[in-house]
Amino acid sequence: MYNKRFVITGVGVLSPIGIGNDNYWKALAEGRSGIRPITIFDTSKFKIKSGGEITEFNAKEVLGRIGLVDLDRATTLLSSAMKFAIEDAGLKINENNTHRTGISVGTTFGSLHSLSEFDKDCLMQGPKFVNPSRFPNTVINSPASRAAIRFGIKGFNTTISTGFCSGLDALDYAVHALEFDRADRVLVGAVEEICLQTFLGFYQLKYLSGLKKGLAPVSRPFDQERDGIVFSEGATVVLLETLPSALERGVKVYAEVVSVASNFDPGGFHKYNRKATGIINAMQGALDKSGLEKEEIDCIFANANSTQDGDAIETKAIKAVFKKYAKEIPIVAIKSMIGETFSASGGMNLVAALGSLEKKFIPQIINYKTKDADCDLNYILKSIEGKNLNYIMVNCFDPSGANTVLILKKFKGSKK
Amino acid sequence: MKKRIVITGLGVISSIGIGKERFWDNLLKGKSGISKVELFDTSKYQSHNGGEIKNFDGRKFISSRTLKFFGRASQLAVAATKLAIEDSGLEYRQLSKSKVSVCMGTTMGEIQSIESLNNSFVREEFDGRLDQSLVFQSSVNNIPVDVAMEFKFMGRNRIFTTACAAGNYAISYGADLLRMGEADYVVAGGSDSFSRIAFTGFDKVNAIAPEKCQPFDKNRKGMIPGEGAGTLILETLEGAKKRNAHIYAEVLGCGLSCDAFHMTQPLVDGIAECMGNALLVSGIKRKDVDYICAHGTGTVHNDKAECGAINKVFGQHKIPVNSCKSMLGHTMGAASAIEAIACCMAVEDDIIPPTINFETPDPECDIDCVPNKAREQKVNTALNNGFAFGGNHACLVLKKYDVN
Repeated sequence: MYNKRFVITGVGVLSPIGIGNDNYWKALAEGRSGIRPITIFDTSKFKIKSGGEITEFNAKEVLGRIGLVDLDRATTLLSSAMKFAIEDAGLKINENNTHRTGISVGTTFGSLHSLSEFDKDCLMQGPKFVNPSRFPNTVINSPASRAAIRFGIKGFNTTISTGFCSGLDALDYAVHALEFDRADRVLVGAVEEICLQTFLGFYQLKYLSGLKKGLAPVSRPFDQERDGIVFSEGATVVLLETLPSALERGVKVYAEVVSVASNFDPGGFHKYNRKATGIINAMQGALDKSGLEKEEIDCIFANANSTQDGDAIETKAIKAVFKKYAKEIPIVAIKSMIGETFSASGGMNLVAALGSLEKKFIPQIINYKTKDADCDLNYILKSIEGKNLNYIMVNCFDPSGANTVLILKKFKGSKK
Repeated sequence: MKKRIVITGLGVISSIGIGKERFWDNLLKGKSGISKVELFDTSKYQSHNGGEIKNFDGRKFISSRTLKFFGRASQLAVAATKLAIEDSGLEYRQLSKSKVSVCMGTTMGEIQSIESLNNSFVREEFDGRLDQSLVFQSSVNNIPVDVAMEFKFMGRNRIFTTACAAGNYAISYGADLLRMGEADYVVAGGSDSFSRIAFTGFDKVNAIAPEKCQPFDKNRKGMIPGEGAGTLILETLEGAKKRNAHIYAEVLGCGLSCDAFHMTQPLVDGIAECMGNALLVSGIKRKDVDYICAHGTGTVHNDKAECGAINKVFGQHKIPVNSCKSMLGHTMGAASAIEAIACCMAVEDDIIPPTINFETPDPECDIDCVPNKAREQKVNTALNNGFAFGGNHACLVLKKYDVN
């Protein structure tokens, strides 16, 4: 158990289905798909041509013209999400609070494009002809650092690169930092960009939907025909602060972070653990820490990324943890709409869950057609409106064996 | 009562020695690990020297069955971890698997695997197909994942990519996990393999010294990129006492901050504030610090800023400062972890390692840099500085564990 209480008071998001909180939440409720032809790089050589590209994003519109020249896409996406979150939280950064404001960002391939292009220049033209002002972009903490420079944030500046779980792991880090009084508030981010290099990696590993049958990629979590992830991008930032800090500022509180549990339990090198013990222990761990009964959880925002193994394992794990209640509890799979944003996926799920608490809805799973005998839970196929939700569980796990689970609570005032 | 966190095992893979003993022995002797770069052809570069580890053989530490899954940074990290566990006296069986967490730091990640992929990427006949095992190796989170796979550690698995301060970030977070009761043991450290991309970038901005690294010297000409890994075993004081473990040092606290100013130019005030915070959270005074293990890269600007900050915080107290990078070069994300190991040994043996290649004092670096020769002196408390791209600073305070 934590000694302190942690609340989220600001939210920012850029996703393939909408930029900004309201657009994102509305698109989730409507069941809109963000999957479209990729324009960022030439896909003509590849069987897969679509992904969750944020086509309407224009960095200049959000951040202004100044200081963009040397920034890569991951950095402008993160900086934009941070700007939204800071504004949404009504946070004024000044000399009195900047040292007590930290940044914690999850990203794994945020610098891959920049460093590969830098290396390409070196290989093709020679080391004398690389662009030195692009060199700082080759480090993975460039998005977090450049965001700190842009907004003048002087507390700790942490980047965590734990793959699919990075976004929730960055939140986990922020919770510990607040618990130990390392800061009063933390801007918790998650970002991943679409680029050729990351695409090629997923392509090579045959993680992508549509690849085996030569069809257009479709993200269809829990459907019997699911055949892999849909490559996507996104950025989220939330402001996490201690309850006293939020109350002192007198600002709106979206939700309280009740508990986070995380472990590592691999099935083999880069193979999902079919025994599901890791995700079971993470869900159970988050429940135990929260002191809640499992029946009190209103809804699960599943990791559900449309892979055969991942979705079956998650279903198995939910059954193991929730027992009889497993068949009843509503299961949400937002990746059916936005695809797999990888390191940003935990953040995407978190912000979606905040929207559900705030706007009282449970978003639908799209693209679901054929029932799978192994996946037989209460998947929400039509959005439910006007639903008061109190507790939401958010799951994240990956083929390396990492598992992180979070429980959010609707905030109803400072008294418990 | 706040839990006390101690360091009970050390493992290091460096260009001046593999294993704690050889590393420390050579560090005290002032041996240089700098040599001609062999990883790639440097003929088109201005500089040709680096801190490569020439005699590392992953097969000595890792079974051939799993070795093929590991990129070089993972291999270095796994090897350092193996040595650290052996050094800690912990039995593998003794380690309750679920309560061991792995927290590593890196700047470039599995960069050699990525660079190999880039080699095929630029070939004219490139058809979109990549080497599968290189793709598997290339993700940065493989570093802690591979360590955890090798030793079956099932606690939180984290990789901090806060560039060259990442090692201190990892150690600091590991200590918090123990304080929180989220782990019984933490494997904390950093690893980076020699990188063409990093070398190219530093060469292009004229930041690499042509021959030797001379931190704090008036004629210093830059840093020298290197590679390495350092792992420390962290546990609670209570647990360490219970198993009668040898305690190298206690982790008192860590200051973490960002200049929010410039990607590559650190600020004197920012560094000073970070060191000040480190002392504050550690509950110690300026005069308590006996030794500063500097970030000390050897570049004109970084050394000047660091010395300015040291003088700003410590004033008239002329505290001995050394730069391990004068010998190892800059091991990037491993640097602050390896330097934390140097701090542990300094506290253990009451000796401060030298700053080598020091010839001419620089009025802009007005510090006692322990020039060229190790110094025997009581070291109760050491401050370990780590700075990173982005204006990020992490300063860690380690203290001799007083049995009384």
